[in-house]
Amino acid sequence: MVAELQNGTRKRKAPENDTIKLANIDLPQDVGLDMLSDDGGEEGAEETDGEADEFPGIDVESDTDDLEGENSEEEGESDFDESSVEEVSDTELQIFPKAKTITSDITGQPKKVYPEIEPDYDSDSSTEDDPNRAGNVPMHWYDDLPHVGYDVNGKKVLRPVKGDELDKFLETVEDPSSWTTAFDKSTQADKLLTSEELDLIRRLHAGENPDGNYDPYEPTIEWFTGKGKEEVMPLTSAPEPKRRWVPSKWEKQKVMKIVRAIRQGRILPSKPKSDKPQFYSLWSTPASDHPPPLPAPKPKLPTHAESYNPPAEYLPTDAEKAEWEATDKEDRDRDFLPKKYSALRLVPGYDQFIQERFSRQLDLYMAPRIQRKKLNIDPESLIPKLPSPNSLKPFPNYRATRFLHGAGKARCLSISPDGAWVASGDEKGVVSLWEVLVGREVQRWTFKGIIGAIEWCPRTDVSYLVVGVEDHLHFLIPPNLPPAVQMLTLSVLAPATLPAAPPTPSPIKWVSTPASQFDSGSPVLTLHLPASSGLPKQITWHRRGDYLATVSGTDQATVWIHQVTRRHSQAPFRKVKGSVQLVQFHPTKPHFFVATQRYVRMYDLAAQKLLKSLMPGLKWISSMDIHSSGDHLIVGGYDRKLCWFDLELSDKPYKILRYHTRAIRSLHFHPTYPLFASSSDDGTIQIFHSRVYSDLMTDPLIVPLKILRGHEVRDGLGVLQVKWCPGQPWLVSAGADGGVGVWCS
Amino acid sequence: MARIKQKGKSGAAKAYITRSSAIKKLQCSIADFRRLCILKGIFPREPRHRKRANKGSSAPTSFYYAKDIAYLAHEPVLKKLREHKAFAKKLARALGRGEWSSAKSLEESKPVYRLDHIIKERYPSFVDALRDIDDALCLVSLFASLPSSPKLPPTLIENCSRLSAEWQLYIMHSRALRKVFLSIKGVYYEAEVMEQTVNWLVPYQFTQNIPTDVDVRVMLTFLELYQTLLGFVFFKLYTDAGLVYPPSLDDKRDESGAGVGAFSLQTAGKPPPNSDGPPEITAEGKKITEKDIRRTIKSISSGLTEINDIEVPLPVESPQDNDADDDFVPQTSSREPEQPTVLPTLQSLLSTPQTTVTNIFSPFTFYLSRETSRPLMEFIVRSFGGRIGWPPSSGAGSPIEESDERITHIIIDRPLVDRPEETEGEKERRRKRKYVQPQWIVDCVNAGKILLEDPYEQGKTLPPHLSPFEQDPGAYEPVAEATNQNVAEDEMDEVVSDGADSNFGDSTEVADDVVLQNVTSSGEYPELLRAAELQAEAAGVDFGTFEKKVDQARKGMLKKGKRKDSRNETTGVEENLNKMMMSRKQRKLYDRMKFGESKRVAERTQLEQRKKELKVASRS
Repeated sequence: MVAELQNGTRKRKAPENDTIKLANIDLPQDVGLDMLSDDGGEEGAEETDGEADEFPGIDVESDTDDLEGENSEEEGESDFDESSVEEVSDTELQIFPKAKTITSDITGQPKKVYPEIEPDYDSDSSTEDDPNRAGNVPMHWYDDLPHVGYDVNGKKVLRPVKGDELDKFLETVEDPSSWTTAFDKSTQADKLLTSEELDLIRRLHAGENPDGNYDPYEPTIEWFTGKGKEEVMPLTSAPEPKRRWVPSKWEKQKVMKIVRAIRQGRILPSKPKSDKPQFYSLWSTPASDHPPPLPAPKPKLPTHAESYNPPAEYLPTDAEKAEWEATDKEDRDRDFLPKKYSALRLVPGYDQFIQERFSRQLDLYMAPRIQRKKLNIDPESLIPKLPSPNSLKPFPNYRATRFLHGAGKARCLSISPDGAWVASGDEKGVVSLWEVLVGREVQRWTFKGIIGAIEWCPRTDVSYLVVGVEDHLHFLIPPNLPPAVQMLTLSVLAPATLPAAPPTPSPIKWVSTPASQFDSGSPVLTLHLPASSGLPKQITWHRRGDYLATVSGTDQATVWIHQVTRRHSQAPFRKVKGSVQLVQFHPTKPHFFVATQRYVRMYDLAAQKLLKSLMPGLKWISSMDIHSSGDHLIVGGYDRKLCWFDLELSDKPYKILRYHTRAIRSLHFHPTYPLFASSSDDGTIQIFHSRVYSDLMTDPLIVPLKILRGHEVRDGLGVLQVKWCPGQPWLVSAGADGGVGVWCS
Repeated sequence: MARIKQKGKSGAAKAYITRSSAIKKLQCSIADFRRLCILKGIFPREPRHRKRANKGSSAPTSFYYAKDIAYLAHEPVLKKLREHKAFAKKLARALGRGEWSSAKSLEESKPVYRLDHIIKERYPSFVDALRDIDDALCLVSLFASLPSSPKLPPTLIENCSRLSAEWQLYIMHSRALRKVFLSIKGVYYEAEVMEQTVNWLVPYQFTQNIPTDVDVRVMLTFLELYQTLLGFVFFKLYTDAGLVYPPSLDDKRDESGAGVGAFSLQTAGKPPPNSDGPPEITAEGKKITEKDIRRTIKSISSGLTEINDIEVPLPVESPQDNDADDDFVPQTSSREPEQPTVLPTLQSLLSTPQTTVTNIFSPFTFYLSRETSRPLMEFIVRSFGGRIGWPPSSGAGSPIEESDERITHIIIDRPLVDRPEETEGEKERRRKRKYVQPQWIVDCVNAGKILLEDPYEQGKTLPPHLSPFEQDPGAYEPVAEATNQNVAEDEMDEVVSDGADSNFGDSTEVADDVVLQNVTSSGEYPELLRAAELQAEAAGVDFGTFEKKVDQARKGMLKKGKRKDSRNETTGVEENLNKMMMSRKQRKLYDRMKFGESKRVAERTQLEQRKKELKVASRS
């Protein structure tokens, strides 16, 4: 059979195949052979077709789309009649030669005939129509030349005429076929595309198969499956396992488990909805013993201003409206503007309603809450109840006399121990001695430079005062003293026989005028402090009247203690931490207070050691005074505070008062009355009642009594020093306005 | 040796937790945390020292109590929220795969949380809950008036309006309304329920839209809580009052806009379960129900059944509803057509001085003009025992026709127009009825008695509407009464303004006193003196005695003033001095209090000043 097929005519092939298929079904024993023969037949066909088979692939223009069935039949025949179709061959050169359908001479059936291709030089269409034979070279090599290459004869191919851009544009407008042209690189000109090429482009663009004849929906050719090709024999001879046809036991068990659960009601098709009613008596069960959370604060209830028809006085003026609108929403004290409507029907909806509810909710869940105790007390009850000043009389009330110091500021003053005389010094170097009661000046001394401090010797049997000026201390004797007193004073200050010189030499020179040359207009004794030690800021006497301490200098102030009887001076401290502001003798004990800028230190002079360091907490100490009992100390500072120390109690102040509006300048305890006074740069003097109890349990009583006004503030300075008159509740104050006032009760 | 204390292991560092760490601890999203905080009522706290609470950092954060957050970690709602998250994922996956049946079955087993336990936890006793329903009522009544949108489903709006109607029904039934205030923001109500004061604000009936700067999710979470709270509270209130909760809703009426009238209250067939609630609450509830019953029995006629009264909409108003009123009005109208309402007023005043003021409107029958707000007026009037009807344009279910003879008042909010073509019958009817503006109703309610209708008549300029809510005692009183004059004699302005009021008393003596005070206090007001003279002359005092009296009064005044001045001065100086002995803390507190006081005084004086100016302007 094989041989027959191979030698047999081509046109029989298809029918033969059919018969073979039939035979396959009929004669299963011949399968192997048949299949082989089939393959062989195909191979043979391919070999013979060789050349002719190329055409159907390229054939685009086939007119016989509707005759496909026939076409496929005829293919074999066309192969057969190769030689007989010569006369039909087309001399016209085409890319895709057109097929012609003719009636076969032999079969009498229509068949497709393709033009013969002559295998000569012209038959190769790919080479013949390109006039430019320059080859595949970059065309920019010819950019500067008049030609674009060479033709087959070696002649120059001239560059085609190329219009400018306007021509190009006009061409696109005028020539309807211009959009179907493409630029040809080899001729450097536009070339019209053929309709085949356009079709090809369209197909490529649409993503279709470029072959127009390609049919994607060809009926499948069932080679191995389908009717008549079922396999009867098994591929393996292994017997089929049991599990293929016996139902699974385990599956059954699982299913039965579910079935049982469904039967018993453990599995329900849908979960039962909770039968709890939506609302029920919630508070019928006892509550937990937790305390309930604090209820949220309630919003404020509306006032008259929120009414739709408020009284006319609630309506805002235009200025108030503008101000309300200008302020931020958060800063407004009222979140609406009062408005008046004449009738309820005219009231519009409130446009901020939802925002207000929302902000309330934000408050409820986002604002931190603090439980605050609301004090429902009268604010006046916070003011401490103190005895009335009227019951604490006497205290200075009014200014009785005023002594004027010319132009200079009255810086310092001192009152004689008997309380009759006042010595006051000013910035011009004038020291005036005048009477307290009438304010008449009896003596005037003039020194060079500022008077830093004046202090009267506390001794009653002698009478003299010490004046501190730049680098000097002058001892003055007031005029008109009783002769006995004057004699004694002179003998103290200018003794006939000088005491023995101290073992350690002192840098301070004591120079006294002899008693015979005494003149009340000049100092009887002068202490020459070391040069450039500065202005003595403070002079303070020991209660016995023998020792006096001075603080001089501004930055690193030095403390000197002078002994009058021995005419000797010494510096008790070799080195002091901080700059010394003030010093003070203890009224009863051999103790010595030194106030630096921040601290007050208490030294024992006898044992020569530090006893205590007091911390007033002030930034800069300006003044200090000790109570006559020696247990209480008041310290004033430039930072307007006054600290009261109970020395028995603590190193920290017992009370801090801040009542002056400017720096405190001076403080003074009355030696006998329970009074103290403070003066300040705000130009006021404050009088306090300060009762100190001897038992340790009772706190000292401090009662503000009176604010004395009358001094003017000049250059930011107010009242620079206050002193009490011994034996009287009177106060003498020296102000920066140059006046020295006596305040009487 | 004591144990070394580690930093951040005790004290404020441990007691407080920041919000971000709380969220991290609870492992939930910030939205879930917010929701939980709202539902559980957890709010941030302000630690004493922020730095100590935040482990040394002073970054601005909000702090919560660590214990609060620890409790939150065991919250069933949090569990449900987590389950819901898982459910949402499952559902999204099923929908994405197109597995509709599994999506459906998932949807059926959707986790839903309930808030009962939270309500119980936050409000262990019923009174606690009742005390806190102010915000809930406000929000529910706001949402009842909002239009539905994709964010606000219609069922939600419906539920809100149902809740607010139920509350109104209960208030009307128990006659618990006390005060009403028409403000520019809405209507403030105050009710007294179980001896608790409840205030709520209802917006005017205008369509509102939720603005963009408002987070609706927050509002909806609050609303969720409040709906549950109100449901439980109403259940308790209704059952304690012997009513069935929820009241049945008539759909047909609801659709025709009957509002509150669409609901009908029913008494419970059997007595309410007596073994519910802690003992004291039960006692309270019982008391109230008994009182209610007694009151209703008192207020209605003897032949009426309780159900008839409770049936609020009263579809057919039975003529024998309140017989005393009914057989009285026609008589008066037939005999004295000029003053038909005066006698009922007197009667009501005479008959109900002992009882509460909750039935001041019971002798009257009102009819609403169509431009007045029906829900507002119906609620107020019926809460105070009045009967009310309205035109069909204001909604269905009006129990009274316009032509009804029993109508005593027409509530009208229109300017006056003259009606030339009016039949004789209509004119007659007009004459019989009083035409008042809505403010009359509210002012009557706040005054607790029937006020004169004349200033409130149709077309008249209304007197100012004042807030009935109490203010602090020092605040400015817009209506200074004549009796205040004696008290406020040292305050010049007030006396002058009062004197200008020229409302001198009826009896001559009182008039004299007042006049004299005015005169003495107002040296620079000669016109006042003249007025006083005239007054004295009218009272029959001859000129000589008048002069004498004036002189005496002047002297006395001067003396008093001097004495007072000197005393004031000395005490003032002393106090000023004593102030310096205050401690810093006390001084600051004092200054704060004084600042507030001065602010109040300034406000008051400003108002008084303005009133005086207005008076002067109106006089000239």
